[in-house]
Amino acid sequence: MSRALRFGTLGEELRGLALTFCLVAATTAAIYAIILWIGLTRGSVLYLIPVLIAAIRWGVIPAIFAAVCGVLASAFFFFPPLYSLEIRDPQEVINLALYIFAAVVVSQLASRLKRQLELSRQREIDLAELYAFSRRLAVAFDVSDIHSAIEDHLAAVIQRKVVLFAGAREATQSARRDSAAVPDEVQTVVADVAAGRREASAGVAVTAAGGDVWLVRPVSPKSPEFGVIAINFGRESRESSDEMRIRVDTVLVDATATLERLGVAHAISEARMRAQTDQLREALIGSVSHELRTPLASILGAATVLSSAPALRDEKKLQALVHDVRDEAERLNNDIQNLLDATRISSDGVKPHLEWADPADIINSALDRCRRRLADRRVVLNLPNDLPLIHVDPVLVQQALVQIFDNAVKYSPPGSKIMLAARARDGRLIVSVTDEGAGLTHAEQAQIWNRFARGERLAATTSGSGLGLWIASAFIAANGGKMHAVSDGPGLGTTVSIEIPVTQTAVPQLESDADE
Amino acid sequence: MNEPSPIVLVVDDEVQIRRFLRTGFELNGFVVHEAATGGEAIRSATLRPIDIVIVDLGLPDMDGAEVVERIRSWSSVPIIVLSVRSSEAQKVHLLELGADDYVVKPFGMAELLARVRVALRRQSRAASGEPIVKVGPLTIDLAARAVLLNGSRLNLTPKEYRLLQVLAQHAGNVVTHQHLLKEVWGTIHVHDTHYLRIFVRKLRQKIEPHPDSPRILVTELGVGYRLAQSGQEGEAAANWTAPAAVPAKTDG
Repeated sequence: MSRALRFGTLGEELRGLALTFCLVAATTAAIYAIILWIGLTRGSVLYLIPVLIAAIRWGVIPAIFAAVCGVLASAFFFFPPLYSLEIRDPQEVINLALYIFAAVVVSQLASRLKRQLELSRQREIDLAELYAFSRRLAVAFDVSDIHSAIEDHLAAVIQRKVVLFAGAREATQSARRDSAAVPDEVQTVVADVAAGRREASAGVAVTAAGGDVWLVRPVSPKSPEFGVIAINFGRESRESSDEMRIRVDTVLVDATATLERLGVAHAISEARMRAQTDQLREALIGSVSHELRTPLASILGAATVLSSAPALRDEKKLQALVHDVRDEAERLNNDIQNLLDATRISSDGVKPHLEWADPADIINSALDRCRRRLADRRVVLNLPNDLPLIHVDPVLVQQALVQIFDNAVKYSPPGSKIMLAARARDGRLIVSVTDEGAGLTHAEQAQIWNRFARGERLAATTSGSGLGLWIASAFIAANGGKMHAVSDGPGLGTTVSIEIPVTQTAVPQLESDADE
Repeated sequence: MNEPSPIVLVVDDEVQIRRFLRTGFELNGFVVHEAATGGEAIRSATLRPIDIVIVDLGLPDMDGAEVVERIRSWSSVPIIVLSVRSSEAQKVHLLELGADDYVVKPFGMAELLARVRVALRRQSRAASGEPIVKVGPLTIDLAARAVLLNGSRLNLTPKEYRLLQVLAQHAGNVVTHQHLLKEVWGTIHVHDTHYLRIFVRKLRQKIEPHPDSPRILVTELGVGYRLAQSGQEGEAAANWTAPAAVPAKTDG
């Protein structure tokens, strides 16, 4: 930009000189006309006009040029000896001195005015950028939004490549994206500055291997939360890079003021704290669940010992109490397991251990786990004996089925029928569980897969966390499958089905060589 | 019970768990020794005759898996592991280290007793060299290489018999997929679980009264298979008195 500016000035200067010359010529013609028609003897004072115009419009050189041309023209045309450049009249010398003085003073004034104008125009642009910047900060959602706003703002204002590093090790999203563009030596300095090992409030210039000069400095010397920036100055002369440094300073002072005004430092630490709180919460749920399960193991174990103790064998009422203890402990254990599963799903996703499994095994194992809960329902199985093998994590699919059975039991009356059917169709295995229970309304069908979704209609009569089907669908999704729920309406029962892709082609050459 | 009382060593750092296990076992005619740490357990197992060890995985001084490994290095006493972690990979690892069985906490006393009885029976059968394994209507004569269902001889292919044989040798205990695949198909096929699935399905058609809901050759999801022993089968049967699942006549 500055090189272009310099070429521009040279052209401007030549143009100024040419126009000045024309102006002087025009003035000469005008003075000639005045002498002829009005009879004025010497109009040479009029040559001040082109001098002043040149000084205001084109600067000091064209103005002096105008002064010299004016004196020469008046010497040639109006002072004796006429039509010779010989200067005899001392008036002419005074004129020359006067013109040159006027040229210098006026051009100085004009150029100062012009510089001020330019500055205020630049300031206007900066302010507009700053305004856009603060608007972006106002809608920033997290730390990386704020950082990329700072980065983009600087890049827009100083027209250089800017990379912002948020902390000692982390860089913003965009920095990570083009961290390859930041040379290693610059990154080392950035790390030093960010860690406070190096004082750099005024900035450190680093010359990279490619010859580019990078400026590294903290965004704000006072608030390290704002991070450290690296700006690529390219291969510029010392002067222009000094200019640039001053510019960066101004921009950063404004930007920091905006950041401070908006309480961004606070927002950044808050966002960090939020992330840490999330981690803490997951860890807490994990450890609390573990801590809860240990006493539960004692309670459940002790209850089962009591229930078969000879002393209680004939005490039907006490037996019933012991069974309550056992059943409730089991329910609590299931709830804790659900919490643990939910934490596992949201913290690091589910990693299935895939193996070839027989769907019938999975279904039987799920039925087995729910044996007691299903005891007062009529379970009707429809399992063809030629179901294809599926490549899944059988334990996850089993747990999903257990959740479905749990739901079916929870929302259907004792003695009703629960039908389980499995079939293979169009390269998929479909396992569906149909109950004769409460069914689903349209609205419920839409929300049933949400985390913590609970049927409000039946909230008073059933218990649960609303995590069950959410966990089930996450487990099935981890195995590449899908879940559906359909119902003819409230009170008309529900069918929940699991759909898992069957890649039968991947079970090769088995019949031929597995058995000789 | 005319036999001398079996001696069980309970290893758990939680006193409440030890207490209910002690009561549960004593009510069922066992003699109970307790240990709160792995070191104590190993010392106890070397000093006294022990018939079976119940060991918790989370011990203060060493991992329960290490206890299994150390005891197994000089003794063939049956070991049942109590674990809160229900990861299948860990179960497989423990079984490979030499544990006979595992029970996931929380568990009921009946479940643990059934496992303990099976392990003890297997131990006494191994000691006496008894070649006949009976599971409900199924009889496997390991000496004569004969399999009988309700007294009539079954026709099994060599691989099917080998599979049943390996399971019968560990009757009542879980045998991991890897172990079965290695024993029946060889080391190259240890990851080809689909071989197992197909053969187990065929085998069940021949040996199970209801192949749809198998009671003899039982799947331990993600771990392996178990040939149910009469103890376990009995327990299962008792719990199924009001049959929850009625296999519908399949149309397939």
